[in-house]
Formats: sequence, structure tokens, C-alpha cells
Amino acid sequence: MSWSGIAAVAIVLFIAPLLPGLAAKTKARLTGRRGAPVHQLYWDLARLWRKGAVYSRTTTWIFRFAPVVLVLTGVLAALFLPLDGQRGVVTFSGDLVAFAYLLALGRFFVVLAALDTGSSFEGMGASREVTVAAFAEPALFLALVALVLATGRLSLTGILGAPLAHAWPAAAPALAMVAVSLFLVLLAEGSRVPVDDPATHLELTMIHEVMVLDHSGPDLALLLYGSALKLALVGALVVAVIAPRAALPPLVGLAVLVLGLMVVAGIIGVVESVMARLRLDRVPQFLTAASVLAALGVILMLVA
Amino acid sequence: MTLFFLGIASVLLGGLSALALRRQASLAAIAFGVLVGLGCALAVVPAIRVLAGGVVPDLRLSAAVPGGDWVFGVDPLSAFFLVIVLTVGAASALYGISYLAPEAEHRPVAASHLLMSLEIASLAMVVTARAAMPFLIAWECMAVLAYFLIVFESDHAEVRRAGLVYLIGTHTGTLALIALFAFWAQFAGNLSFDALAAASPRIPAEGALVFALGVAGFGFKAGLVPLHFWLPGAHGAAPSHVSALMSGVVIKMGIYGLLRLVILVGAPPAWWGWLVLSLGLISGVLGVLWALAQHDLKRLLAYHSVENIGIILLGLGIGALGLRYHAPVVAVLGFAGAVLHTLNHALFKSLLFLGAGAVLRATGTRLMDRLGGLARRMPFTWTAFLIGSVAIVGLPPLNGFVSEWVVYQALLGSAQVPAARAAILAVPGLALIGALALACFAKVGGAVFLGRPRSPAAEAGGEVPRSMLGPMFALALACAAIGVAPMIAVVPAIRVGASIGGLGGGPMRAAAAAVGPSLLGISLLAVLLVVLAGAGWWLRELVLRRRPRAWSDTWACGYAFATPRMQYTAASFAAPLLHAYAPAAGVQVERTAGAFHTHPKDLVLDRLVLPLWERLRRGAFRARPIQHGRLGSYLLYLLGALLLLLLYLAVRVEGVGP
Repeated sequence: MSWSGIAAVAIVLFIAPLLPGLAAKTKARLTGRRGAPVHQLYWDLARLWRKGAVYSRTTTWIFRFAPVVLVLTGVLAALFLPLDGQRGVVTFSGDLVAFAYLLALGRFFVVLAALDTGSSFEGMGASREVTVAAFAEPALFLALVALVLATGRLSLTGILGAPLAHAWPAAAPALAMVAVSLFLVLLAEGSRVPVDDPATHLELTMIHEVMVLDHSGPDLALLLYGSALKLALVGALVVAVIAPRAALPPLVGLAVLVLGLMVVAGIIGVVESVMARLRLDRVPQFLTAASVLAALGVILMLVA
Repeated sequence: MTLFFLGIASVLLGGLSALALRRQASLAAIAFGVLVGLGCALAVVPAIRVLAGGVVPDLRLSAAVPGGDWVFGVDPLSAFFLVIVLTVGAASALYGISYLAPEAEHRPVAASHLLMSLEIASLAMVVTARAAMPFLIAWECMAVLAYFLIVFESDHAEVRRAGLVYLIGTHTGTLALIALFAFWAQFAGNLSFDALAAASPRIPAEGALVFALGVAGFGFKAGLVPLHFWLPGAHGAAPSHVSALMSGVVIKMGIYGLLRLVILVGAPPAWWGWLVLSLGLISGVLGVLWALAQHDLKRLLAYHSVENIGIILLGLGIGALGLRYHAPVVAVLGFAGAVLHTLNHALFKSLLFLGAGAVLRATGTRLMDRLGGLARRMPFTWTAFLIGSVAIVGLPPLNGFVSEWVVYQALLGSAQVPAARAAILAVPGLALIGALALACFAKVGGAVFLGRPRSPAAEAGGEVPRSMLGPMFALALACAAIGVAPMIAVVPAIRVGASIGGLGGGPMRAAAAAVGPSLLGISLLAVLLVVLAGAGWWLRELVLRRRPRAWSDTWACGYAFATPRMQYTAASFAAPLLHAYAPAAGVQVERTAGAFHTHPKDLVLDRLVLPLWERLRRGAFRARPIQHGRLGSYLLYLLGALLLLLLYLAVRVEGVGP
């Protein structure tokens, strides 16, 4: 545990709400609009946090507990990532499984909260969420397996650290495939186009947004923050694969991460402005493509 | 061993007293509960002593029967499974007292309690037998007693049918086991496990036939795909506490058998490791996919047993490969993951079956699309069921995460073993299993406990008595304990894992050292999760206390008269996933203008076994004329058979003689 590591976690927790704003701004500019300010989500969160809440009579404690779990699992997952480029705040052999399963725990509770309302719309969103996740999870693990094979380590700090930088020259094609695959997983986990469209206004076409229809006030603020944080965490994973920062001093590494996250958010904005979201039954094919890419990376490593 | 047999005797006495005192229901319940609970507590003592590193002397009975002495003993593997048998056995038996009480009028409840105690005793005998004869006898007792436990509600035709399919399945498996030991005995002096182990180097082709028959025989009991076809029906039809024992313990005897085989024969051939690994992957993915398609809560849970057997086999397979390719740490972790997941699955699956039993008792239905809103009506059952759900999905901070993590660790460790590197491809498979299990338990929780009641039956449901909640919460507590302090289970599991490979202290300490820091990390994570979730909840309440809070109807996008029927159903929830996996999911979709129905079909039972069965039956009709009930022709058959036998003997003596 190092101070730079803790500072890095704090900074990522702080800038997470910036990323959706950046993506939206890029999209607005590319489509000829001025768009909302990049820090809009901060204002939204502050406004929601000050409000009261309306609860459905159908709901139980799960509905109110889920937002807490989503944010908590995000924060704990952040502890495992080597955000300053050196090492995670908590790190142990096999923590990559803990990272992925923490995100899954958050998802499980949000899905249960959606079902707690008894709303057909939220049920639909929950059903789509677990479907998307079931296709994104193997892709994520294939990418992690490729990194394990490339570095011979079993912790996130290990597979994203110095050995990865050494592996790049020898295994560039495989690692590039892994990075692209992780980016596709990011689009799914962050509920972005072409998997989901955060800007849609029709409940029937939403995934994540429709799951949180009934939440209001501070609960909604927690949910919005939790999903922004998830975007930042998987984004940090993508940045760490493309730009291993173990050789850099922690402060520079952190600066590279922040810059990288902004670039990733910008690319998400570009993707959103050049393509429409996929028809829902095409989403599994899209994510299977991500798995196939990562699997190709794994096979390249295995035969090498 | 004295303590162990004393405990088993107490369990049996409990069963007998339930039968003897059946006229005084409350006295019988107390006697049964106390004696079974006490017996299990006594019998588990030697097991715990062995798991802590101690030694318990064997018991040798000189029996005047073929096959040599009957030996009973407790080694680490037996001890680990004994703990599973006795904890889950006690919880199921105690739960059964209240669960069966309402049926006392019209069904043989006391006999069912007696059968339960006999079943626990035979399970304990299976895992302690050290010779093929007592092993097979205990095995067969276990299988046949389970049949009688399953057909408790024998007035229902589908229960009788499920029982019959189970009986055929289990006997086919036993047939393979008898063949296994008969073949093996050719190379050994007698049928004690020691003699068989000593003879194992003489089995041709590295014991190929023994290992193949083992997969078939023990695979039937474990319910791995495609030998699982008897399982969902039987576990769905049995009374819920029997389903808990069947899913939690009885099918695990197949896993015990496979592990015992590895101990006796030694490192299995490489193809066997790959076969078990692939069967694990297939069982895991198909099991959870088929579970997702179910409408019946208990059948759904039964398919999840197939899934979890798959996860256990992943550990077993990578353990066997590690043994073969001389990677002791991978081998120990693989076997440790397998036995640990066996224990964990026994805990949370029996918890879930007991929860399903509570729902069934409270509402009278197992159909998920007729339930809903039970979280308000049965808050304690829901809490216990939720703990079981988080555990079975493999999420922190509960025990399912710990054992899946050990299996992951073994699979990822294969990256360092050149010959077994491809095994790492099972990692994304395990991730897929986890994600599908999450979808499935979101469906169960949502359809059964959350939202609004979908039928008057669900509306009428109320909390079950404390005597049923007690065993559920005891199991939930065990799940939480292993999740928060994983060392208490992982360290004994590693001892068992090392004993399976015959690896001894060195690799055991190496494996323990390899996972030690990680276990502390997992423990820290679990504590942080629990503490911070509590703190977060408290903070949120503090903030909201000063804010206006209002209650209203669920937002239905402006539509004001949403009825419970308009909720998303369990079938709709699973539809997108099942559609994406259409050919493998085996779901028959029926779509009309105003309705959407899905009918789950078991790809093996409905598409393969039953058609084959039908063909066999029709073939058998053709042979019927030879049995028409006329005495004369039967005498003729006898004469013919005798003549053939004499002829054979004459030819044989001629051939062998000088």
C-alpha cells in the first residue's frame, strides 16, 4: 500500500463523472451541436443528492440497498487496479477474479432492485443487462487470460505492470487484439453505443437507463455515480494494457492514466457519433466478436 | 472410530424412535431431532480430528464372505466428505420434521424419517468403507433408500415416473461400478482397497479401463452431462429436504468415488484429465443454461446441481492434469478446489432447496410464474435464500467465491505447465458459467420473491415456522463463515488435495504458502464489503432522514393501472439468453398472437433416452411370445438350458483335461 496508490484511487473516484460528460461533449461537437458542459454530471449528482426520494410501494429494502452496493463494489474494485502504474492498494495472486466478481456483485444487486419494482419496463432492462453481461464476461476473462499468458503473473498489479511492457515488443499483435477486445467490453459494461444508448428517450429501447427508472434523489445519484465509476475502471484497464506505466514515476503514471481515460472517453464519443446502436439481438454477436478477438490473442500466446 | 459408530448408531436410533413413537407426534419429533443431531455431532468428531492432521485407526471386521475383510477408516478425503454428509444430513433431517408434519394424515411420515436416518448412515458408510464389498453394499443402500425417499408423494404419477427414471439411472451406474471392481479384482488378491491399490500398476494401459468405467459409474451418480438425465426429475419430485440431501450430498458421492479412484490408482492418464475437464465445462455451461429455461423452482435448482458438478469437475480435471504433468501445486489446488466446491455447493444448494421447500409450503406451488412478492411475506426465508443465491453465483463475500477462486487459481496456474497450458481456456468458460448463474438467480429472486404476487396462492403465502428457518440460517451462517474466513475451509481442503495426489507435506505446504496471502486478501475484501455496506446503508439513512420521502406506485411510464400480470415473467426474463443459445438450450417456443410460451426440454432425456427407451420397449414386445404362461414350455426351456450347460461343461472339460 503506497500513498501514490491511494491518491490515484481518490483521483479516479473524483474524475469518474467527467468521462460520460467528455463522451457526450465529443459527440455533440462532432454532430455540430454545442452540447452540455463536460462537468454536467457533477451538477446532476449534486442536485440529486440534495433532493428527497419517492419510493414505489412494491419495493423492499433491496431497492434501497442496491445503489450502496453498486458504489461500494466499484470503490473496492478500484483498490485492485494499479492506477498509479506501480501497484494496486490491495493486491494478491488471483485478485483479477475478485475485480471481475465485485463488478458482478454490483450488477446482481442493481438487477434485483430493478425486479423489485415489479415494473415490466425495468424487468425488460434487467433481462437485457444480464444477457449483455453473460456475453461480456467471457470476453473480459479471455482478455485477462491473454495477459496472464503474456506476463506469467496472476494479479492485476502483475499482469498490468513491468512484465507487460516487456511483453509488448514480442507479442504486439496479440496484445493489440486484447486491447481492442477490452475496449468492446468497455462499451458493453459502460452501457454505451452500440450496445446501449445513454441518450435514448424511449424506455423500450434502453438497457441500463430503464433499470433505474424508479430510483430518485440520492439513490439515483449513487446509481449514476456507480455506473460512471464502472466506466472509469474498465477504461483504466484498457489504458493500462495499451500504455503500461510501470517504468514511469507514480505521478507521471497517474497523469498518463488521466490523459488516457480522457482519450478513451473521446473515442467513445467518436464511436457514438459515427454508428447507431445495434438491434438488441445483434448485441450478442457484437460481444462474441470481442470474445473471438481475445481468443485469437490467447491462441497466439499459446502457440508462441 | 468408536465415536463415529456410536454417532451412526444414534442416528439410526433416532430414525427407529420416529417410527416407534409415531402415535405421539411431538415426542417422536423431539426424539428424532435430538438423536439425529447428537449422532451427527458425535460422528463428525473423528473427521475433524483427521482434518486437523490427526490419525484415526482403521476398523477391520473379518467377514466370512467373499472379497476379504471389511475395513472402515477415515483418511482426509473421507473426513472431508463425512463433514459434508453429517452437516447437511443433520440440517435436512431436522428441517424435515416440520416440513413433513402437515402430511402426517395421509402419508407415511414416520417411515420417511426412518429412511432419512438410514440414508445418512449409508452415506457415512460409503465414505468410510475401505473395501469394495462394503463400499458397493453401502452404495446400493444409499441409492435404493434414496429412491424410497424420492417417491414419498407416490400418489402423483410424475413422482413415480421420476423415481423410476432415477432408479434406472442409478442402477446403470452401479452396473458400471460392479464391472469396475470385478475387472480390477483380477489383478488383486482380495477386494480391500489396500490390495486393489497395490494391484493398480498391473492394470493394463495405466488403468484406462478402470478410469473409463469410473467416469461412467460415478458420473451417473454425480449427474454430469450427458448422464444427468435422471437428476432434474428426481430432485424436483422429492420432498424438499430430501432434494436438499440428494443435491447437497448424494450426488457428491460420485465426486468422492472419482477422487478415491485417483488415490487408489495414482496419477490418471492425461486423456482422463482432459476428458474430465471437458465434461466439467460441458456440464457447467449446459447445466446453467438448462436451469435458465426452467419454470419449476425445484427443477431449476436441480439443473444448477449439474452446473456445480461441472465446476467441481473443472477442479478435478486440472488436478489430474497437474498430477500427470508433475506440477504438484496445480494438482493440490485443483483437487482442493474440487473438494472445497463440493462442500460449498452442499451448503448453499441444500440451503436453496430448503428455501424452495419453504416457498412450496407457504404457497403450494413451485411454478415461478405464479409466485412473486414473497420478500414482504416471508422476509426471513428471502434473506436466507438471497444469501444462498449470492453464494451459488460465486460472488464475494460468501463461500462460493472462495472455492471458485481456488479453481480459477488452479486453472490459471496451468499457464506455467507447458503440457497443460491449453487448460487455461477453461477460465473464460468458468466466467461464462458465473455470468449465466447470475442471470438465473436474478430471475429466481425477481420472479419468486420480488415484485407483486402473481396469483392468490402467492398472495396468501406467509413465513414458515422457526423450526424450518433454523436449519436454513445455520447453513447460511456456514456459507458466510467460509466466505469471511476462508482459511478455515481452504487449509483442510489443501490437506485433502495433497492426500489425493499422494503428494505429502512438501507440495501441501507449497500450495498453502501460494494461496495464504490471497486468502488474507479475500478475507479482508469480505470484511470490507460487509462493514462498508453496513456503513453505507447507515450513511444513506442519515442523509435521507432529513429529506422528504414519499411512497407511490411503481412508475409505469404514465400508465396508471399496472397490474401484477403486467410484470416481466421469469420466462420473458430468460428469453433473450435462451434465444441467443437457441440450439443448445433445448427450449420449445410457442408464439401466438397474444401469448408467448417456452417449454423446456431436456436434450438428453427427451430427445435421446426416451426415444431409445421406446424403441427398446417395442423390440422387447417381439420377444414376448416366449413368455406366455404355459407350464409345459417353461419346463422345456429349463431342460434346454440344462442341456446347453452340460454340453458346455463337457466341451470345456474335454478341452482342459489331460
